[in-house]
Amino acid sequence: MGENNATNGGSEKTLTRREFVTIMVGAGATVAVAAVLADPLNSVAQSLLGTDTEVNAEEAPASTGPRWGMVIDLRKCIGCEYCVFACQATNDVTDEMRWNVHIMDETPTGNIFHLTRPCLHCNHAPCVSVCPASATYQREDGLVVMDYDKCIGCRYCQVACPYGARSFNWEERGDTPNPRVPEWGTPEVERRPRGVVEKCSFCIHRLDAGLARGQTPGVDPEATPACVNICPVTARYFGNLNDPESNVSKLLASTPTFRLREDLGTDPNVYYIPPEGLTI
Amino acid sequence: MTTMIGTLRRQAQTAPIFSAWIIFLLSLLVVGLISAARVLWVGLDVTNLSNTVPWGLWITVDLSAIALGAGAFSLSTIVYIFRVKSFAPIARIAVFVGFVGYTSAMLALVMDIGRPDRFWHPMVFWNVHSVLWEITMCVVFYSMVLVFELAPAVLESRIVVQRFPRGPKLAHFLHRFTPVVSVVGLGLSLLHQSSLGATYGVLVARPLWFKPSLPVLFILSAVAAGATVTLGLTVFYENLVRERQINTRLRNLLAAFAGLMMLAYLYLKLWDFLATSYYSHLPARANDSTLLESTTPYGVTFWWIEIILGALVPAIILLTPRLRRQDIWLVLAALLAMAGIIVNRWNVTLSGLVVPMDWSPGAAELFAVQKYTPTAPEWGVALGVLGYALLMLTLGLRYLPLFPKDDAHH
Repeated sequence: MGENNATNGGSEKTLTRREFVTIMVGAGATVAVAAVLADPLNSVAQSLLGTDTEVNAEEAPASTGPRWGMVIDLRKCIGCEYCVFACQATNDVTDEMRWNVHIMDETPTGNIFHLTRPCLHCNHAPCVSVCPASATYQREDGLVVMDYDKCIGCRYCQVACPYGARSFNWEERGDTPNPRVPEWGTPEVERRPRGVVEKCSFCIHRLDAGLARGQTPGVDPEATPACVNICPVTARYFGNLNDPESNVSKLLASTPTFRLREDLGTDPNVYYIPPEGLTI
Repeated sequence: MTTMIGTLRRQAQTAPIFSAWIIFLLSLLVVGLISAARVLWVGLDVTNLSNTVPWGLWITVDLSAIALGAGAFSLSTIVYIFRVKSFAPIARIAVFVGFVGYTSAMLALVMDIGRPDRFWHPMVFWNVHSVLWEITMCVVFYSMVLVFELAPAVLESRIVVQRFPRGPKLAHFLHRFTPVVSVVGLGLSLLHQSSLGATYGVLVARPLWFKPSLPVLFILSAVAAGATVTLGLTVFYENLVRERQINTRLRNLLAAFAGLMMLAYLYLKLWDFLATSYYSHLPARANDSTLLESTTPYGVTFWWIEIILGALVPAIILLTPRLRRQDIWLVLAALLAMAGIIVNRWNVTLSGLVVPMDWSPGAAELFAVQKYTPTAPEWGVALGVLGYALLMLTLGLRYLPLFPKDDAHH
């Protein structure tokens, strides 16, 4: 390729030895360069696309800011569904679209245990990466939140979420009464319009307002998710995972915990304390 | 417009079959419009889609229409980038089929998203991490490429020339940029035709989808079926007007190209199956496959429609000189390839969704296999999109110079 013999030679002539060697060396060099580039290219591309922010967030020292998380003690949970109902009332959610759900599971030896599942607010949330309109995103404090004004309703996030934690507004809800209001609380956020996806927000409105008032989420009830406040057996804990003195951090340090489908690498911010007889 | 209606009226007297066909297509459109109005008025509640199966018939329509339009980029590439002169007579019809496919897909998509008024959001609120964002951008830009590539045919059509005599001159001018535009079109198509498969392939939580072969399977099947359908439609049209539009040599070349692409698709599909389901055992995937086989017809339709009827039989027809010489076989190959693509896109979408994702940590079987059957409004919208596509094809073949005038009898 270095010389123009190949093009001058015409199609009848075969390659000279020199051309042949040049081509082979060229091809070999190309493969070598490609092989070298293949890995670094990845990080180069990432920095070009600005997608390395989450990597930085992970490597950042723990003291930079809060990372909100939850610990749910399955040894304590009795399956009363108070957290489910309080969530529905506070966030004005229908029975079909529950943000926080309860399931009755069993250990390998057949013992029943109860499990509730809010949104897990994953650090590598599939819903965040797939959204074509960046309508769902992760805040620096770890909360995976929705911008209902951006959502186009394509439902790819529902398809991608490994935990089924997302609900779509299939119809306009209008003024239909919420079956959980007022018994379990009063709505603190607006109803979502028809055609957008919604999900658990860790009661973001309480968190942000509480922080602005100087309160501590997880300690002051006004700044804590409704599901945590209402639990009659204190099976749910909420707090700052980056603060070693927070109740959640202390629990995580003292008790074995697991997260749902850790094999998927989603890195959730919701931890579970296993019930007796369940080893993860 | 008035001349077109006038022409149609004359048609009604002179060609009753054509008029009946148009009336049939218009009735499909009416069904589609009524269904669409219902969806837009009431919301997606009128569908049988759910939070566990959020995608269904319309996504299948959308994926199939884009795949069947792939003849546009593959054949344009052969003509305008590789400059294979003998393929030139097929370029325009291929681009036109592509245009119809992409616009049909957009119609289906606009109905499918919950907020059609926000269809433009991905173009403004970028998320470069999302394959769906990449697809949206590519499809939007590629549609512009298709409009550009189709413009000369429109400008040279009799309807335009009567009002705008300088149309052909402008067409000639535009045509000079076609090679550059084709390169852009090729890049955009390679990206989004593959990414449509990646939409499923990148989802780690769905073992039936999570594999690197899906993007390649999607583009190969699209190129194969797209070319087959373009050829089949051409042959069908030749029989309608009782005049050859492409010569025998091109017909054989096209059939061979489509047939070889079909074989390449089958080869990869075979190895995809062997590597993921036969020679290896990934528990999650094996469980899901077993669940699927035992509770749904997807296993049967995979082998019989996707593989045998939808790909193997068309490949045999396209690559056997004795068969492809006969028009009826080529049209049959196109219909089978079309069915193969539609069933494949349906199977890929639904198989991954109906099998539940088990996130519970315990031993209980808590998540059941889901069922999905489209409702009447869903079918109605799909029929409307089909009506739109067929009407566009009919009008295009009727009024646009999609085949070169002098190339028929080489």
